[in-house]
Amino acid sequence: MPVPILKQGDTLIASVVAALTDEDLLQLRDELAQKIGKVRARSVVIDVTALDVLDSFATRTLRGIVYTARLRGAETVIVGIQPEVAFAMVQLGLTMERVPTALDLEEGLAVLAAKRRGRGE
Amino acid sequence: MPPAVPITEKTVMANVGITEPDIERRKLVVGLGADDLARLAAIRPLIVNHIDELVDAFFDHLSKLPEAKVLLGYRELTRQARDLKRSHLIEMVGGTYDLNYAEQRIRLGLLYGHVGLETKVFVGAFEHVLGRAGELILQDSPTDGFQRYLSLQKIAFLDIGLHTDVLVHERQRIIGRQSEAIRELSTPVLQIRDRMLLLPLIGVIDTHRARLITENLLHAVREARAKVVVMDVTGVATIDSKVANHLVQTVTAARLMGARTIVTGVTAEVAQSMVGLGIEMTPFKTVGDLQGGIEHAESLLGYRVVMG
Repeated sequence: MPVPILKQGDTLIASVVAALTDEDLLQLRDELAQKIGKVRARSVVIDVTALDVLDSFATRTLRGIVYTARLRGAETVIVGIQPEVAFAMVQLGLTMERVPTALDLEEGLAVLAAKRRGRGE
Repeated sequence: MPPAVPITEKTVMANVGITEPDIERRKLVVGLGADDLARLAAIRPLIVNHIDELVDAFFDHLSKLPEAKVLLGYRELTRQARDLKRSHLIEMVGGTYDLNYAEQRIRLGLLYGHVGLETKVFVGAFEHVLGRAGELILQDSPTDGFQRYLSLQKIAFLDIGLHTDVLVHERQRIIGRQSEAIRELSTPVLQIRDRMLLLPLIGVIDTHRARLITENLLHAVREARAKVVVMDVTGVATIDSKVANHLVQTVTAARLMGARTIVTGVTAEVAQSMVGLGIEMTPFKTVGDLQGGIEHAESLLGYRVVMG
């Protein structure tokens, strides 16, 4: 199932609503890469609140999205990792260092805004 | 903590594993044979005739001991204990040593436990009774007396074996409950400012506790929408690589939920031992003391403290 990607100004918001297969993840990656260019987005929020599981493939793919987006001029934040998921991730050693995270959509947008202010935009 | 379930003989027997086969094994272990059963039958009339004298011997001995004050102070309890002791002594020479026999022994043992009568005390008094019984047996039949007494002694040791196993089980049970209580004293997560949580860690951080602490913290991060966590480790006596690992995991998990952690309170001793062990706590920021940590957290959140 494709992940809906909404546009709000120059921010793209991808809201995961159900469990993602590996294919879904790759599809998300490709779609975001395209859309960032198409709408000239500067910020991306990926909301994973609905996910019960974030395995190593998922975390690798998300990191890939962050780096790719950055190369195309957009900052990404992953939001909505739930307590149980966070706990499982650190137990498995999936720390997602250097991937910006925030509690929820509101926080994510605030973090991105602060970064842009910091960059003097 | 779950409410304490009243302990009955049946529960204890189930927990300690006292079953029919177990009792047969116990009889084998003390070497109880057909000859013994015959001798016990032979001394039975003697014991029954002197039963009051023997029960008195038990309680007279107890009354000389300060430890037995509680039991003897309550007439209801003493009456119950006397009745049970009477039955006990008669059953010892009764010839039937089965599950029911064990149940009665344990019932008496539990009673002693509830009034705080220690094993060594009632075993001591028991020895006194056996001694008295021995005198009676030897007077009654000088030639066979000693053999008969030894048979009785086998039953006594059967009883003591049961009591010992039950005692150990009870102790384990109490230790288990105390451990649970200590775990639950655990660690509160305190909200000390808007979006700021304080996590004061105290005591030993083992894997189980680390898990509880982390789960509590992560749920609190979500509830309070915390952006900063001040984790104070002043109360953690030892930070070895295992504990450091737990702390790193906790901090990383919090970061995945968008909260930054400041660690405070690493004492001089702990710092030196950590360096000695080669532990680096690089993934997060450390500040010397709690006050400094809170101040730093406030500045991260954009607070400015104004005097006056």
